Amino acid sequence: MSGSGMQYIIVGIGGQGILFTSRVLGKIAIDKGFPVVGSEVHGMAQRGGSVISHFKVGGYSGPLVSEGQADVVMAFDQKEGIRNLAFLKEGGTFLVNADDESAFENDHLKKYLARRKIETCRFAGFRILDEHMGGKYLFLNVLILGAASGMKIEGFEEDRVAAALKELAPPKHLEANLKVFELGLKAARA
Amino acid sequence: MTKEGAGKKSLLLGNEAIAQAVVAAGCQVATAYPGTPSSEILPAIAAAADRLAAPMAVEWGANEKVAFEMAVGASFAGARTCTAMKQVGLNVAADAFMTVALYQLKGGMLLISADDPGPHSSQNEQDSRMFAMFAKLPCFDPSDASEAAAMVKDAYALSEKHGILVMLRPVTRVAHCRQTIDVVESFEPGTPVKFERDVNRWMALPAIVRMSHPRHNARIAKIREEFETDWGKYNYELPAKGKAKLGVIAAGVSFSMLRDLMKEWGRDDIAVLKVGTPYPLPRKWVESFIARHDKILILEETYPVIETQISDRSKVNGRWNGAVPEAGELLPEVIEEIVLAQLGETPPKLDTSELAAAAGELGLTVRKPQLCAGCPHRSSYFAIRKAIPAAINPSDIGCYSLGVNQKGLDTSLCMGASVTMSSGFYLAHKVTGQERPVVATLGDSTFFHMGVSGLLSAVYNRHAFVLCVLDNSITAMTGGQSNPGLTGKPREKDEGVALSIESVARGCGVTFVETVEAYDIAAGAGAVGRAWEHAKASRSPAVLIFKHPCMLLRVPQDTVSVSVERDKCVGCRYCIDYFGCPGLSFDERAKKTSVDKRYCVSCGVCAAVCPHKAIVKSAG
Repeated sequence: MSGSGMQYIIVGIGGQGILFTSRVLGKIAIDKGFPVVGSEVHGMAQRGGSVISHFKVGGYSGPLVSEGQADVVMAFDQKEGIRNLAFLKEGGTFLVNADDESAFENDHLKKYLARRKIETCRFAGFRILDEHMGGKYLFLNVLILGAASGMKIEGFEEDRVAAALKELAPPKHLEANLKVFELGLKAARA
Repeated sequence: MTKEGAGKKSLLLGNEAIAQAVVAAGCQVATAYPGTPSSEILPAIAAAADRLAAPMAVEWGANEKVAFEMAVGASFAGARTCTAMKQVGLNVAADAFMTVALYQLKGGMLLISADDPGPHSSQNEQDSRMFAMFAKLPCFDPSDASEAAAMVKDAYALSEKHGILVMLRPVTRVAHCRQTIDVVESFEPGTPVKFERDVNRWMALPAIVRMSHPRHNARIAKIREEFETDWGKYNYELPAKGKAKLGVIAAGVSFSMLRDLMKEWGRDDIAVLKVGTPYPLPRKWVESFIARHDKILILEETYPVIETQISDRSKVNGRWNGAVPEAGELLPEVIEEIVLAQLGETPPKLDTSELAAAAGELGLTVRKPQLCAGCPHRSSYFAIRKAIPAAINPSDIGCYSLGVNQKGLDTSLCMGASVTMSSGFYLAHKVTGQERPVVATLGDSTFFHMGVSGLLSAVYNRHAFVLCVLDNSITAMTGGQSNPGLTGKPREKDEGVALSIESVARGCGVTFVETVEAYDIAAGAGAVGRAWEHAKASRSPAVLIFKHPCMLLRVPQDTVSVSVERDKCVGCRYCIDYFGCPGLSFDERAKKTSVDKRYCVSCGVCAAVCPHKAIVKSAG
């Protein structure tokens, strides 16, 4: 782990399975022996609206990430991702399920990403799941884990994510999950 | 940091950490009514009790007052007890809470009242610590999940030492934080249970209260003294290096956030007094900190509880002088601003102007919570509105309050108020010689929680309105808990008796009771019309049950694919404005609706919605 720790922001829309992603992230951190603190959204705020998980690995006390401090923003939804980019620190990584490439042609957005030296990793999650998984978008959370591994984002080491999936995913969906994980890895390398 | 593989640690939700601590402390009777952010506590207590085979009763009460009083009875008998609820739930239990404060309890009793600064999922931002101060009861304010868990054990020790009810007050950021926590592997033995008759102890008659109230004051003074000296694990000072430029008194999660910020800033010129026991405030200890610093700032959520207990506030900056906002959550950016303002500094502002401009051009806004795709409430509201568009639609607290997007409700206030406010709407119009249809909505769990007493009253008083119970066979908003309409109970091997809403309504004296399939809009609309005619003619409430399981239960159902015939769609937005399913999206440029298959669950209900028959069931 670089410096004092790693701070993650995971955003999307209620119902997309964000909480599972932070469970995997947490499992990996704990297995490595790092303390973890974070914050989740439950209840009314979770119903189909914007949701955000804060996740901090290392010696932190409070559960929330401050503006400009996140190492990584992972977005299940492109709009939510862009809306929450202010959380990213300079030089941070933006991993996004991109469904409208034209948004990234926006001049203001391009300038912000360039000025803040943000590394953007886009993958077309919905298209991949359409092509390979019969449009089952509930697999988006595992796809994004694969993409994060493929992009070598700290905390998502490939072997550790695969091991965490084996432990945390329901056995009957394990095979499909591992397949989607591979798809995510491939998407990142493409 | 621990070594790899050392100890058994797990990443627990704050509520799960609290729950396993309750089981570990030897709690024998645990009760609750769900409400965000407290809902996961009781199921996690049951899970830990099942895992450790602990001899415990773990049960939902029909409402918070019921749950609270179940725990009180068990405590009178000698059992160690716990009751959990959200902040507004404590209002429901307040009658018992305020008086049980005066009792010399037998079994230790812990009240967990979870607050929701923000608010994120609540109808207000009230501070339960204020309630603790009102009842003169000791209160612990945890700064994170692991401290909350530690406080549980100590709260029982304090409760049993003084025979007093003790409150633990986690906020959302503690209840719903995730933190590395040691997994509990054992539990303390419970306390002996034997109820002993003693009316002077167990009754709150005026003559008895004239003795118990002074006694209560004496013991809270004693506890204040103990908090002054013996509770350094929760009340401690982090001194500055050299002379402090500012002294901050910080409680709860604000303390944790301040610590991270100070690390981020690399500052050591701020002294911090961490307060874990806001009531009764260890006043001498706090005032000695104030005396040693030139300037003081108080960070606490959400009301000025510590602040109001300080006798001389001339050096103190807080809510009384506007230094700290009087509403909303103390987020890191808010804390940064107010702490630096005290130091005469301005926070370094991240320049996000390009991002704001991009968000404007790309139309990025916060997505509001909404009913799930396929949610039966959506079609229920559509039917209700369609039947009597001019009706007043009082509603209640639960997922169905999201029906505001379907323009299906006019009011929401608190649990059960849909029924009682319908009585009020009826009466206001009646005394002024008017007639206005009233069609109210509430959920199955809310009906059992507080709907029934309002219904009894409406039958007795002859109030004409239609009460629609949106029965999705679950307490959905809070994450799918059981309720008296179901057989499920928190512990694995327990089974309850499911009450029928129809029978309960009839038992209340309601003469029109019907159940309809919530997906069937035509049948629902017809039933609402009939119910209102009956209510008017008989001057009595009519009850209509819209039944269909919550989508989150994933009960298998028919898959009905739909599509939009573009040439038939006239772009009127009726389906978007009144049905408003995430599975339907509207193209503003083409002025056409289309099915958004990212969200569509193929329930087929929207095929009945379009006035131009443009939404059709497609083959396959």
